[in-house]
Amino acid sequence: MSTKTQPVSAWQPRAGAGFYVSAVILLVVLALGLYAYSRQLAEGEIVTGMRSIGTMGGATWGLYISFVVYFIGISFAGITIAALIRLLNLKTLAPLARAAELLTVISLILGALSIVIDLGQPLRGLKNLWLYARPASPFFYTFSLVIAGYLFASLVYLYLAGRADAAALATRGRGPVWLYRLWAAGYEGTAEERERHSRTLWWLALAIIPLLVLAHSTLGVVFGLQVGRPGWFSALQAPAFVILAGVSGIGMLVVIAAILRSVLRLQDRISLDQFKWLSNFLGFLLIAYLYLWGAEISTTAWVSRAEENELLRALISGEYAALFWVTVALLVIPFVILLLQFLTKRYSIPWIVTAGVMVNIAGMTKRYLLVVPSQTYGTLLPYAAGSYSPSWVEYLIILGLFALGILLYMLFVKVFPIVPIHETE
Amino acid sequence: MPKYGMTIDLERCMGCRACVEACKVENNTGQNMYWMYVFRIERGKYPDSFWFFMPRPCMHCDNAPCVKVCPVGARHKREDGLVLTDYERCIGCRYCEVACPYSVNYFNWKKPASNQYYTWKEENIYGSGKVALVTAGAVPPYRNPDHDKLYGISKKRLVSGGGHSKGVMEKCTFCVHRLEKGLLPACVANCPVKVFTFGDLSDPKSEVSRVAADRSAFRLLENAGTEPRVFYLHASEPDPLARLGLTEIRRTIR
Ligand code: SF4
Ligand code: SF4
Repeated sequence: MSTKTQPVSAWQPRAGAGFYVSAVILLVVLALGLYAYSRQLAEGEIVTGMRSIGTMGGATWGLYISFVVYFIGISFAGITIAALIRLLNLKTLAPLARAAELLTVISLILGALSIVIDLGQPLRGLKNLWLYARPASPFFYTFSLVIAGYLFASLVYLYLAGRADAAALATRGRGPVWLYRLWAAGYEGTAEERERHSRTLWWLALAIIPLLVLAHSTLGVVFGLQVGRPGWFSALQAPAFVILAGVSGIGMLVVIAAILRSVLRLQDRISLDQFKWLSNFLGFLLIAYLYLWGAEISTTAWVSRAEENELLRALISGEYAALFWVTVALLVIPFVILLLQFLTKRYSIPWIVTAGVMVNIAGMTKRYLLVVPSQTYGTLLPYAAGSYSPSWVEYLIILGLFALGILLYMLFVKVFPIVPIHETE
Repeated sequence: MPKYGMTIDLERCMGCRACVEACKVENNTGQNMYWMYVFRIERGKYPDSFWFFMPRPCMHCDNAPCVKVCPVGARHKREDGLVLTDYERCIGCRYCEVACPYSVNYFNWKKPASNQYYTWKEENIYGSGKVALVTAGAVPPYRNPDHDKLYGISKKRLVSGGGHSKGVMEKCTFCVHRLEKGLLPACVANCPVKVFTFGDLSDPKSEVSRVAADRSAFRLLENAGTEPRVFYLHASEPDPLARLGLTEIRRTIR
């Protein structure tokens, strides 16, 4: 029942000098991040740039929370692509399925780590978040739905979808055979087994979709329910989080696909077809997001509640203006690029990748603009406006997280075919 | 069970900050932490301007956003109206702080011991024992021993005072350790001009209920729906943008 099959022998775990050089660089960055975290553990979060809101004139949520949102946002890609392939029978995207699923799993791990890093009492957190879990707190859903449910479902999906390949690799007897055996877990590839797998995956894909929407929405709700924070308190927060997650997630997938394609010389498997599809999808998500953002800003500007207005002023012409307009540009320019490609029907991978990179930078800056100004400029009693700039500890820890994510990705690519050998139907 | 509440008469407050000082001493809070804080609010333009002062404790909201968002139930509402933080349960996520519309929460960014106003170790350079001489034998930094006790109906919660450990949230407790002994909160007891009244708001005959029934009484940010238990009298709510001039001043003095 598999459409395109490749001879199993065609797949080789590749590890040239490039692999080792980049692995060493990433390990160094990771070590720096760990060092920074050790400072934070020893001295407390005084080593970050965060301070209490109000008389201390700070922001109590900073870079870490911005990146919790960013990393969890990235996870949008995997499940969406998987669901599109299974449910809409979009075979074109099949070669990217595993790359996307892996992206989801790794970004969720990074998101979970960022949450723990942000806690003042991380060990207590790991215990109390389960022991005293309170479903009344929006934060509960970030943990239970996003980290536990969503991550678990994605892992199961990745596992099931990879079984056929693992079985084939195990018979070949090269590389980490024990891993392939474990993964395949007795899979033999009989017609009945394949049928069962594809049915299970279909249902799993269907079930993960509401989970995906809910997970990203609840993260939006963490902010959207806070009546005391201008700029956060909005019903649009939940849908906007889902869409922006899609923008940065698909953008990141485009970038990764292009890297895999050129580094692993997969030009024959990952072709312009996939990029075309992702390009149009990304363009659609982008304009949807710009629309939501525009609706939000125009409401604020029109209604003129004093505190909302002052926040808006700080954003468009005050302290945050530079970052704000860069973010706007990083969302509008990619949209124009993608739209032009769509209109002229001429697609170019470098341009699509450029758009992907831009929306990802916007994904980070926009989250920062959401999280921080509402604290420094969003107090409802007459405290002086605050300020926040991240410290080297925060920067190093975030870089370390990126290094960890890339390392995990590289390791996976080394031991397992990132483009499915069997595109199981 | 009394339901505690407070009134603050803005016409009486002269901005001496005795309440701020009393709170800091009573609760051993670290540098930069003002569980009680006094705003100086200016209205109009000179010469047609006037000032008033506005003390700001925690409002001990009945519908407290901070309690609603705490993922582990460390921030909790008690039957007697107090909103407290369980310092042994708090995981330091700081969600309560972003949720509070009044910005009254203070996080322990540092180890409390290294966040005192004075590095007592250095004092000992001039000979050990010299400090003890000045402080009548107490070993500084002084800690109120009441804060190591547990409170609540079942006496199970570590909720009183400040400076317990790094990475947990703190805020005004209405001096729970004093209330459970039958004393008034430190700010109330130390105000020289009786700006505050404090007591049982559920008893209509109590002093605090009678004062809170004044026609001029209002609560801060009433339309945030938080149902604060602190009532202000004889002024009107400050505009959040009264801070605009302050912003520049803060930049220059920091
Ligand atoms: S004033 Fe803030 S900290 Fe105090 S009870 Fe209300 S929401 Fe909670
Ligand atoms: S910082 Fe502590 S008290 Fe506040 S919400 Fe988090 S766990 Fe609860």
